[in-house]
Amino acid sequence: MSDLLQKDASKEPVSKEVTTENTRVLLELDDISMFFGGVQAVRDMSFTIREGELAGIIGPNGAGKTTIFNMISSVYNPSSGSIWFREQDITLLRAYQVNRLGIARTFQNLRLFGRLSALDNVMTATQNRYRYSFRENLRGHLSPCYRPDPKFHYSFLESLLHLGRWSKTEQQIRTLSMELLDRVGLASRAHQPAGTLPYGMQRRLEIARALALDPKLLLLDEPAAGMNPEEVFALNDLITGIHCEFKLTTLVIEHHMDVIMEICPHIVCMNFGAKIAEGSPEEIQNDSEVLSAYLGDEEAIG
Amino acid sequence: MMKKSLLGNAAFAVVGLTLALWPLSGYEEGIVVLLCINCIAAMGVSLLTGFTGIFTLGHAAYMALGAYTAAIMTVRYGVHYLPAIVAGGIIAVLVAWLIGVPTLRLTGDYYAIASIGLGEAIRLILENWQSFTRGARGFPGIDSYTTRWTAVLFFTVLGAGMFNLIGSRLGRELKASRDDRIAASLMGFNTTASRMKALLISAFYCGISGALLGGYMNFIQPSMFDMMKSTELTAVVVFGGLGSMSGTLIGSAIITSVMEYFRDISQYRMLIYGALLVSIMVLRPEGVLGNREIWSFLPRFGRRD
Amino acid sequence: MGSGMQLATLFQQIINGLSLGSVYALIAVGYSLVYSILSFSNFAHGGFLVVGGYICYGMLAGFDLVLGGQHIIGLQPFPSAAASFPSTSVPVSLDFIVWGQHLFSIPSSIWIGGICALIGAGLIAILTERLAYKPIRERTSTTLYLLIASMGVSIVIENIFVIVVGGRFRALPSGTFDDIFDIFERISRFCGTIESTGGNASAHLINLGAGVTVSMFDILSLIVAVLFLGGLQLFLTRTRWGLAIRAAACDLNTAGLMGVNVARLISIVFFVAGLLAAIGGIFLSFRYTLYPQLGGTITTKAFVAAVIGGLGSLPGAVVGSLILGLAEMLTAGFISSQMRDLVVFSMLVIMLLIKPAGFFGRQISDKI
Repeated sequence: MSDLLQKDASKEPVSKEVTTENTRVLLELDDISMFFGGVQAVRDMSFTIREGELAGIIGPNGAGKTTIFNMISSVYNPSSGSIWFREQDITLLRAYQVNRLGIARTFQNLRLFGRLSALDNVMTATQNRYRYSFRENLRGHLSPCYRPDPKFHYSFLESLLHLGRWSKTEQQIRTLSMELLDRVGLASRAHQPAGTLPYGMQRRLEIARALALDPKLLLLDEPAAGMNPEEVFALNDLITGIHCEFKLTTLVIEHHMDVIMEICPHIVCMNFGAKIAEGSPEEIQNDSEVLSAYLGDEEAIG
Repeated sequence: MMKKSLLGNAAFAVVGLTLALWPLSGYEEGIVVLLCINCIAAMGVSLLTGFTGIFTLGHAAYMALGAYTAAIMTVRYGVHYLPAIVAGGIIAVLVAWLIGVPTLRLTGDYYAIASIGLGEAIRLILENWQSFTRGARGFPGIDSYTTRWTAVLFFTVLGAGMFNLIGSRLGRELKASRDDRIAASLMGFNTTASRMKALLISAFYCGISGALLGGYMNFIQPSMFDMMKSTELTAVVVFGGLGSMSGTLIGSAIITSVMEYFRDISQYRMLIYGALLVSIMVLRPEGVLGNREIWSFLPRFGRRD
Repeated sequence: MGSGMQLATLFQQIINGLSLGSVYALIAVGYSLVYSILSFSNFAHGGFLVVGGYICYGMLAGFDLVLGGQHIIGLQPFPSAAASFPSTSVPVSLDFIVWGQHLFSIPSSIWIGGICALIGAGLIAILTERLAYKPIRERTSTTLYLLIASMGVSIVIENIFVIVVGGRFRALPSGTFDDIFDIFERISRFCGTIESTGGNASAHLINLGAGVTVSMFDILSLIVAVLFLGGLQLFLTRTRWGLAIRAAACDLNTAGLMGVNVARLISIVFFVAGLLAAIGGIFLSFRYTLYPQLGGTITTKAFVAAVIGGLGSLPGAVVGSLILGLAEMLTAGFISSQMRDLVVFSMLVIMLLIKPAGFFGRQISDKI
């Protein structure tokens, strides 16, 4: 066990060389662990994501990947350790606060607003854009805080009377949402209830919805799950396209190694809740630990 | 979009003026008033149950709070009825806030159960607070301030406001937290606050409705606002279609008329009402309009904007 | 009031509370059983209780069922004064007269009345399920619709009784349980330890000493509740259908896939629920009075009890009912009888706030 940890530590500097070292650290996981009852789902996990990166987390089913996402997006709070986003400790924030600071995500088992139309799904996110600025707090540190983006917000009174900014803002929200739908290729289905769309389209709609929030960090939870090879291919294009186009830091979870190997220059590999390797695709592919996690014990295979 | 909103508000004004000015007999006037009162309460519950997915079985209590506030203010303190009615709504909102802070954490069946408990508790308090509410025997001698004009005025204003609200960011926010609360909170919505907004608005509508009911009946009694009444409010909303405000109005109109039609055979009235509930659920559980608004059935407005 | 007196009251109210709680338990367990299988709150459950109560009342006291001016069934043990009963024992026979024809007579007693009530309520429960719930279950998985339908059913049942037998309060004849009390007296006389003050028609009391008396009725309802709940436990653990029901409580669909006849299983569950509710109905209508709206009031209580114990959990329903019975009786004994319901509903709300899943409930978590 201690052997394993040492190996990880020795790899740390290597991985940093791989990533773009001159950019700022956007997200930092510091020694986080998560227990569910007596079960340790995540054990002493640490890694950093730099601004502009397209990173991936891989690992077999049940390795704790989604738990990591749930902790980053504050669905759960970690049992120990801390999470830093844009130099602010977000470990104990509530989910909506973390989101307003600029973390958007998709879900492994789709969570669309099923009865709303595809367009309404995206509009729901677009109307909720927040801006984050850095403000000096009491202790003299700079910390980011969020406030509604005035371009997409209007007051309760304006909602009630449909006066003032209502009309203009609604139009803006709608136009932008349509553009995003178009970007993921769903413009023709804009008025269909989200729950009735085919599976692959629902996945893309989730991505559009997350993008509509104008996040700084996008978390994609198994975006290729349940897709056929052709759809996976298109999805890879979409993810890399979005990454370049929006200059969006993206973190992808997959258990299909090939998807991540193809698109992510920076990969974290997990097994049984712990990080077993981190680095470039080549490094990961040649790591014996990773191979045994995926292929089983080498001896057993023969 | 602007055009559609203007059209909707204009339609409401026309309906309001028609209800207020169309020559009617005294009996028919009574029905119009009752219809307005029931519709106001139903819209409130519809926002909470149909649009936010919070199932309540205790909203008659907010009607009771509105009714007693308005009655006590007008009878004991001689306040003018208009501010008294609004005050009824505000008291309902305050109590709803006190109740909502701890209970809105509950979801699904659990909130429904809690709402039964709280609704009944409020009714029992009104029943036992003899010195203030005159207890179970009821509170007589309320002015008949709910004229046709008052009722229609409140219905039109509150109705147009409600349709405007659901056609703006709040409507989407509530529907999002209804369809998937966790996803909504990860879209940056403080879902607890969203649910609270829905509860407060619905309590306001029910409070106003109760205050108007007091002025119409000239007499209120805690037992008028029991679980049966709460059930009726929710049933009307389900009948109209969860997530359809125009459906709620249609449902409320149908049920009010049916109940009124069978007034002469009052013995069978409740039996018919119960059977109606069962048959609606068996034959058309999605309600009259499903979760669509009535204009989405019109060819011109259906798919466009 | 001395402290000894206080203590006696306390003891007395605890026994009353346990007895009342055990009756609630019968109702709450049936309600919880349905909830555990179909996960909806069956508000019509109180209706089954009222059906049971009225059948028993009808068998013991006699009422005329007149539909459309036609005498359908006449149960007339006391043709002249249906409201007054001889205090000692229940009359001898029931005459079934249909369309003027005397069909047969059977001796009327709590045994016959009780059994008819149980079976009748069970059948009504099955009928309700078949007519109202099954079509909805087959169409949609939204339990909200079932819940509203169940409210409709409860309104229908309530008002059928308002129309057919009238809305007034009725009491089961005071001699209803005399047959059984006789047995009790014999036992207590045989044991000699407990002094019985029986013989008085209105109050069959057992003196426990120190100013504490227990009514035989309380003991009886406690014993019957324990017997039936024990029987239910045996049924659920020792029979094939019991196993199937427990499996269905975990996952109805999977149970169906494993070859369980789901339709029959649900019928059995409703029959059992109706049957248990009917026992509760008989005891409640003896303890208080019988009226069509009794079901609504009591369902709410059973509902509260089930929530306190944990929705869908049978042991939870029993524990919750006992807590509720005790709380009600202690409030009545030490604070005021009027505050009973307020205390009940406050307990419900407090419990929901502290521990929404109840004492024995499963904490349902959302998979993300």
